[in-house]
Amino acid sequence: MSEDVIAEIKRDYIYSLANQGDRADGRKFDEFRPITVETGVINKAEGSARVKIGDSQVVVGIKIQPGEPFPDTPDSGVIITNLELVPLASPTFESGPPREDAIELARVVDRGVRESGAIDLSKLCIESGQKVWMVFIDVHVLDHDGNLIDASSLGAIAALKSARLPNARFGLGEDAKLPLNDVPIGVTAVNIGGAIMLDPSLDEESVAPCKLTVITNKEGAISGMQKSGVGTLTPDQINQIVRTAKDKANVLREKLEGTQ
Amino acid sequence: MSKPEKLIVDGKRLDGRGPNDLRPIKFQAGVLKRADGSCYLEFGGNKVMAAVYGPREVHPRHLQQASNAIVRYRYNMASFSVEERKRPGPDRRSIEISKVSREALESVVLKELYPRSAIDVFVEILQADAGTRVAGINAASVALADAGIPMRCLVSACAVGKADDMLVLDLNKDEDNYGQADLPIAINQFGEVTLCQMDGHLTTDEFSTALEMAVEGCKKLHELQKQALIEKYAREVAPAAPEISTGGETSE
Amino acid sequence: MAEKELVVPGDILGEDPKLASHGTYVQDGKVYAASFGLVDRRSNIKVIPLSGRYIPARGDLVIGKVVDVTHSNWIADINSPYEGLLHVSEYPERVDQNNMSKYLHVGELIIAKVADVDPSMKVELTLREEHLRILKEGRVIEISHVKIPRVIGRNGSMIKMLMKDLDCSIFVGQNGRIWVKGSDRNVDIAIRTIFKIEREAHTSGLTDKIKDYLKNELEVMRNQNE
Repeated sequence: MSEDVIAEIKRDYIYSLANQGDRADGRKFDEFRPITVETGVINKAEGSARVKIGDSQVVVGIKIQPGEPFPDTPDSGVIITNLELVPLASPTFESGPPREDAIELARVVDRGVRESGAIDLSKLCIESGQKVWMVFIDVHVLDHDGNLIDASSLGAIAALKSARLPNARFGLGEDAKLPLNDVPIGVTAVNIGGAIMLDPSLDEESVAPCKLTVITNKEGAISGMQKSGVGTLTPDQINQIVRTAKDKANVLREKLEGTQ
Repeated sequence: MSKPEKLIVDGKRLDGRGPNDLRPIKFQAGVLKRADGSCYLEFGGNKVMAAVYGPREVHPRHLQQASNAIVRYRYNMASFSVEERKRPGPDRRSIEISKVSREALESVVLKELYPRSAIDVFVEILQADAGTRVAGINAASVALADAGIPMRCLVSACAVGKADDMLVLDLNKDEDNYGQADLPIAINQFGEVTLCQMDGHLTTDEFSTALEMAVEGCKKLHELQKQALIEKYAREVAPAAPEISTGGETSE
Repeated sequence: MAEKELVVPGDILGEDPKLASHGTYVQDGKVYAASFGLVDRRSNIKVIPLSGRYIPARGDLVIGKVVDVTHSNWIADINSPYEGLLHVSEYPERVDQNNMSKYLHVGELIIAKVADVDPSMKVELTLREEHLRILKEGRVIEISHVKIPRVIGRNGSMIKMLMKDLDCSIFVGQNGRIWVKGSDRNVDIAIRTIFKIEREAHTSGLTDKIKDYLKNELEVMRNQNE
């Protein structure tokens, strides 16, 4: 589709701006677009959040239901993450089963939550070997204006923070907060002609040869990374991105303090 | 969830409404950046996002029609929209709903104006609370107008049902699950019925009355749909937020 | 300017079918609105839509983006449900058809004229006229094509003011794409101004507001340079 063809003079413009230390929307290289986080937006879900980064918008729903554990981990809860790039979010999204970009996004969001140990799976056992809590993280992208990964991972953790175990409905006592140990935050950067920029806009994402997402936990340790795209990065660039992502993640984490 | 003993108590429904009352409704037009037209609707506990892309090129090519646009409609429920998580992807129910919803709207779209193109309507149910298909059609109608798609008129839809032998407009969840009939109807201002389905048991007299109730319900919805579009325009005409320029502030 | 009436599809506009024009339709001898927009009753009855995709018409000047190259045509995205075809014969010089991309390749932007649109919406473009060309520099932005008349202004008054006050070359395509060339700072101001016109297209006294806005922006820039 012609959406995928970037006009040369637009590419040239973004690169020449980067060379001068500028971005098309006037942001600094390490500046995110305005972020809003609202939780409790889907009352039927056990947890939910709506996140906007600039005009990119996602809704994340957390459904928690009892289910069977995996045979090799009889006392552990289960996390299942899915992400839908529904066609209403962009002229380039088609109906159908998730394609590789949706699957990649879901798996990166999952990695951040799982590897940081944010959810203590051992606390989700109901009956050893028989019944455990299944935590479904479902990301529904509603508007694509660049950097869906950060919006989705922020949405996921915000929704998890507000989630409750629906004990009452299943005769297991009173509802309780979903126990969370950590708040992993993803920060994505692109490399445009050597300049490293955070929170790429739709145009920046389209002209950048690749992007790197770094997910850090409360202590600033890395719990997930993903390089996406055919371009390359030097080790120095990667280290720089990791440092910037760690700092930025703290700022974003504060945004979640205000929420449930 | 167990069945309530009675759905109607002293002539009033469990949520306090009278038989002809609609649930609280809120429409917002033009809420998405990428779509050509959009509408977010809260209808009772339903939360629905509708978006329209079009007219646009048809992919795959072979679906093109030489003398008019094709209209496509995709109704989809988010996994977290219902009590027990729904597996993502279309199921037989969504495919049927997509078809009848498309037919309900297609009858008013002036397709002949855009040969060899597609008008794509997408409805995402973010939270479900009985009556999602009619909520979808109401939101989609506004999204189509918001996108500038020429139509003969807007289409409004609502469901009438029977609970404890009483005909009620705009079923709530309990009435939908435990009632005796469910009749989703879409009617336009010319009195043309564009959607009509029925589940359950109704006598012909009851049906006739139910249809009248639907007509009245749809009239009210039509006013709200029109209001949403007018409000969107008002937002455009209202003085802009303070300018963000290279330092100066312009006075309006 | 008299208050324009806002209508939605299905609103009744009149009883004389002979007056029905763009954005309306006739049913049972009455004229109804087909689009969501503003009614214009000055000569006939038409509805000016507030939104909608650009549909090419013969004679329109547009900015196209080349998205595909075949043996005899370049295919351009003209911001419409219909793509524009530029045939080799409509290129201003002789073309070696074995090397089409040498003359015009994917990703390049052109100012072209819509030479013809047939009933099946096959759109033929041409570059074979005086002011048509390939855009090698400058910046191109996209606004809603329904706001283009506002950007141009009556008799071109709005666009001429921008070009003069900012010392920029500006080309406004009917398809919602606008090309601007000039000094970096002035092009920034021009683009911000155009988006402002798009946002406030429906407000009154716009020309004066824009004149003031430009004066202000230029002064701010001058102060920054001191």
